[in-house]
Amino acid sequence: MTPETSEKARTRPPVAQVEEELGKKAFKLSEWMAQQGIFLFTAVLVLFAVVFIDGFASLPNLTDVFNRAAPIGIVAAGMTFVVISGNYLDLSVVAQVATAAVVLIAVTNAVGLLPAILFAIAIALVYGIVNGIAVGVFKANAVIVTLSTTFIGLGVLRWLTGGSIYFGDSDGPIRTFGTTRIGPLPLAMILFVVVTLLLSLVLTRTNFGFMVRAYGSNREATRLAGVNTPLVVIGAFTMSALGAMLGGFVLAAFSNTAVSSMSDGYDFRALAAIIVGGTSVFGGRGSVMRTLLGVVFVSVLTNIMVLSGLGFGFQQMAIGLLIVLAVSVDALARKTRVS
Amino acid sequence: MTGSSESEHAGRGATATSTPIIEARGIVKRFGGVVAVDDVSLAVAPGEIHGLVGENGAGKSTLMRVLAGVLAPNEGSVFVDGHQLDPGNTREALEAGVSLVHQELSLVPEMTVAENILLGSTPTRAGFINGRQQRRIAAEALEEIGVTVDLDEPISRLSVALRQFVEIARAVARKPQVLILDEPTATLTPAETEYLLDMLKRLASRGLAVAYISHRIPEIFAICDRVTVLRDGSLVASEAIGDLTPQSVVQHMVGRDLQLDLESRRQDPDIGDTVLSARGVRAPGVNDIDLDVRAGEIVGLGGLVGAGRTELVRAMIGADPRSGGDTLITLGGTTRRITSYRAAIAAGVAYIPEERRSDGLALTMTVVDNIALPNRSALSRAFVLQRRRIAEFATALATSVNLRPPEIEREVGQYSGGNQQKVVLAKWLGREPDVIVLDEPTRGVDVGAKVEIHRLIRELADGGAAVLVVSSDLPELLELSDTIHVVRDGRIVGVLSAAQADETAVMALASGQQEVDVA
Amino acid sequence: MSQTQTESQQPSDERSDTATGDGIIARVRPILARRTEGRAIALLMVVWVFTLLFEPLVWTSYEVTLGRIALVGLVALGLTAVILMGELDLAVASTLAVSGVIMASFDSLVVGVLAALATGLVVGAINAFFVVVVGINSFIATLGMLFFLRGAAFVLSGEAPVRIADIDAGIAFGQSVIGPLTPRMLIFLVAFVALYIFLSHVRVGREFYAVGGNRQAARDAGIPVTRRVFTGFMISGFIASLAGVINTLERTAADPTAGSTVLLASFAAAIIGGVLLNGGRGSVFGTLIGASALGMLQVALTLSGVQVDVQNIVIGSVLLLAVITDPSSLRAAAVTARALVRGRSERQPSG
Repeated sequence: MTPETSEKARTRPPVAQVEEELGKKAFKLSEWMAQQGIFLFTAVLVLFAVVFIDGFASLPNLTDVFNRAAPIGIVAAGMTFVVISGNYLDLSVVAQVATAAVVLIAVTNAVGLLPAILFAIAIALVYGIVNGIAVGVFKANAVIVTLSTTFIGLGVLRWLTGGSIYFGDSDGPIRTFGTTRIGPLPLAMILFVVVTLLLSLVLTRTNFGFMVRAYGSNREATRLAGVNTPLVVIGAFTMSALGAMLGGFVLAAFSNTAVSSMSDGYDFRALAAIIVGGTSVFGGRGSVMRTLLGVVFVSVLTNIMVLSGLGFGFQQMAIGLLIVLAVSVDALARKTRVS
Repeated sequence: MTGSSESEHAGRGATATSTPIIEARGIVKRFGGVVAVDDVSLAVAPGEIHGLVGENGAGKSTLMRVLAGVLAPNEGSVFVDGHQLDPGNTREALEAGVSLVHQELSLVPEMTVAENILLGSTPTRAGFINGRQQRRIAAEALEEIGVTVDLDEPISRLSVALRQFVEIARAVARKPQVLILDEPTATLTPAETEYLLDMLKRLASRGLAVAYISHRIPEIFAICDRVTVLRDGSLVASEAIGDLTPQSVVQHMVGRDLQLDLESRRQDPDIGDTVLSARGVRAPGVNDIDLDVRAGEIVGLGGLVGAGRTELVRAMIGADPRSGGDTLITLGGTTRRITSYRAAIAAGVAYIPEERRSDGLALTMTVVDNIALPNRSALSRAFVLQRRRIAEFATALATSVNLRPPEIEREVGQYSGGNQQKVVLAKWLGREPDVIVLDEPTRGVDVGAKVEIHRLIRELADGGAAVLVVSSDLPELLELSDTIHVVRDGRIVGVLSAAQADETAVMALASGQQEVDVA
Repeated sequence: MSQTQTESQQPSDERSDTATGDGIIARVRPILARRTEGRAIALLMVVWVFTLLFEPLVWTSYEVTLGRIALVGLVALGLTAVILMGELDLAVASTLAVSGVIMASFDSLVVGVLAALATGLVVGAINAFFVVVVGINSFIATLGMLFFLRGAAFVLSGEAPVRIADIDAGIAFGQSVIGPLTPRMLIFLVAFVALYIFLSHVRVGREFYAVGGNRQAARDAGIPVTRRVFTGFMISGFIASLAGVINTLERTAADPTAGSTVLLASFAAAIIGGVLLNGGRGSVFGTLIGASALGMLQVALTLSGVQVDVQNIVIGSVLLLAVITDPSSLRAAAVTARALVRGRSERQPSG
């Protein structure tokens, strides 16, 4: 509230106008990179893969890529809600995906499919509410909160399962789901597309999605518009949890097995997909469809590395680097933006 | 009368016309297209206390920051002891002996008094903090200004007044030749203010040159030897205190070619029963406020920056927590006690905050999204947003506030300040609020939009809404309000009806000038 | 307006209002009220009672306990330096792992150790670069580095533990040197003392509090904030690599997956020790107490035969509780609770 902010408008001198033009250009370039760059980069990457990587363009390989992309994509789509709300990310998806997979297979074997699904939903709600309250009501840092819930969640899972592998019935409903195809497309792939579209609609067309985006864009303005902001945060983490749950289901369905370690790497892959897709980690910008694109990019990149003989370690390095670079571009775009 | 800088100071009338120690010549400072300081020259001699007065936005702080080397002027230069200073070089200014006490306290809360006093110039011996010297210098500085406080007390445990004094001690510890204070008494009680003024007199009597920004007339007349009055960035007067009276100072501060658009003032407004009332509202910076706003009435809150108006309205509607008191809303015969911000919104309150960029709008979202945000329940069916209805709704509102151009799909951040403010208004208008609270509705807004916003506010009142407006723009306050409450130090110090109110009356109450007359 | 120059009352400070002259108590209370170590002490008390009752082995095999405290505490010390400035270093776990792997890649012990420590410094510098030069939030920047370095550790080690060349040195490193103190504990003690002196008595270290407490004030006062941030992250990186060296020596092999449980425990130790995530508050003593509590807890659980997974549940819960019970979080929760309880506007009898 310093006096000089109370300005009386007068005509602008020409020098100021030129400075503004230059500033606008710099902003436009980094802004373009952050926003539209992904389309170009993905196209280039796919082209590169098709031309230079042996075996990429074959049907079995592409099917494999899609199969791996589907569960990650669903998880990333759900986690997009958390990132757009400005709460960085949800690390606990690693625990949630594995938990959902194990619950699906183990409980179906023991009791039935429907109880398994209900139980998994309940667990997802617990995660969403615990994370959401810690971050939304206690205003604690989302990275540390979800770090702790990851350890708690994985601890519970490993303790209860002892690390054992669960196998689904060889003619059970899960196996059927995992192997059914409609035309050339696996059912799981269609589920992936459907879920992504659904989540995208939730984010763009519903009250709730609207509030999440507004909250990510400006917390205080959203609060002052009368929105119940703690509930918005809880909702965002719940969406992430439901996405992780569905991702876990799909993951389990592919192999008809579940083990606590099967979700390794889901945290950074999902985050990379979201950020590379153009959703800003600062909140407010982005969409689920962009995350879809980011998933394509990350999956193709991973596949290129696998086909080139680079192991898990290299993949982690590459994706970690990708995350840092993508966020840097975003940060620079913000800096040059006239505020 | 050149010569001794020491004796001539203590009291009114005598002027120290010895060679100035600091001099600003022809300072011009622009921010973007706005001229904040327009060709101002100022000089302060050792032992002189030079008061700098003006309304909010007159350019006082900007000028002082140029003097202290914090800002580089577009034109003009600053001389200390005859040497020209490198513009905008804070370090050089500090070394030349110019010490600025900031308006926003620049202290580290968890560090001790001694550490804060020496912050940035902590004495060391081979990299290790020389605690003894640190305490010695700090103690000396405190003694110099005559304040006793435990050197090891963390700042967070000190009262606001003591923090202000520690901040001053920090400036004094550097053994400056020039001390600049920017509204140091804004948050002090009268007793604390008196203590500060005595301190400054003591320091000046030892040869320090003091530049003192304030809009509190009693203080200016208590200690200053010369006074410079700024208005809209220009210098309007620079006289010895003996040649001025409180009335003449206030006149200089506000005396513009009064082009009040008094024609557009509402004649015979249809005012109904009380809708919004505050009873005993207390919060940080707000001291026991009672306030009523009636249906169809526009109540203006006048006062100086830091008087507590924003804090008051925010505490009233629950946007910030209250420590005491109640807010009541009476509509259709029922009175409700408002206990939270969301309850206030639900009861029909609309709040247009002071900082539209940080609190009023989601800048990266479109106009239509911003307008839809508080209206979402009305615009959705079963939680699904009805796109077309929203677009129609937003278009209608954007048109009614005359958003130019009415592109509702454009990002709000790309619009001018005036248009942005219209969007803020538009989003609340859709709710047809019964109570509207606006804080600085036309700050940073171009003239055309300002007129339109005023029209909108009047229309809202004509439609029966109870309107509460906080404004530091005196003409605006006078043109809009049916009643003006003047706030000072978190209290309402006067209530003026439209007929009684003029700029001088409001400013007199806001700055405490009336008290000087009484004495 | 009176113009008297005598007798103006000096504004009182809060203390003189509350002191009711009970000597020691009145003077000590305000000092206690602003200390941040309260929760750590509470946890430590709970752990002590628990272990004395159920697992006294923790006390009798004190070498194991002290050793664990030393490792957790060491990493927590590095974190403290960074958190005090208002930043975070999530990459410590994988810095630890990568440093260990690098050390084991060299035949010469000395070169290996130096290379490992240099790695820590470089990682710290890179982290600081992204935080202050590029302007990325330290949570995300160090998270990205965490992933990157984890991958690097895998790649450099060939995804398997790497044995060090000089196995005897490793074994010797695990032996007590002075009384019950192993080299690990000694290093921790030295680090603790060094960091304490640095943060309390060295100007550069003391300025960390300013950078975290009020960064703008620090800049205004002329403190080179960028340089300080670099220093802080390099300290954290260095200590993490030191922990990696210790870990590798004692196990005579570098494990690329090392560090995750230590990470969890040291975060919990620092945060519950009172080092506030916003920066500017906290002390190495708090970290020490927090590390003691958590170290003892971990040992108690291990000696009781509790599996690693359940231990993670416990430590994870401690971290979660630690992060939601700091003063600003509790205040935020209180505001929400109050609004929830009194949310609806209440009808008044009209009158």
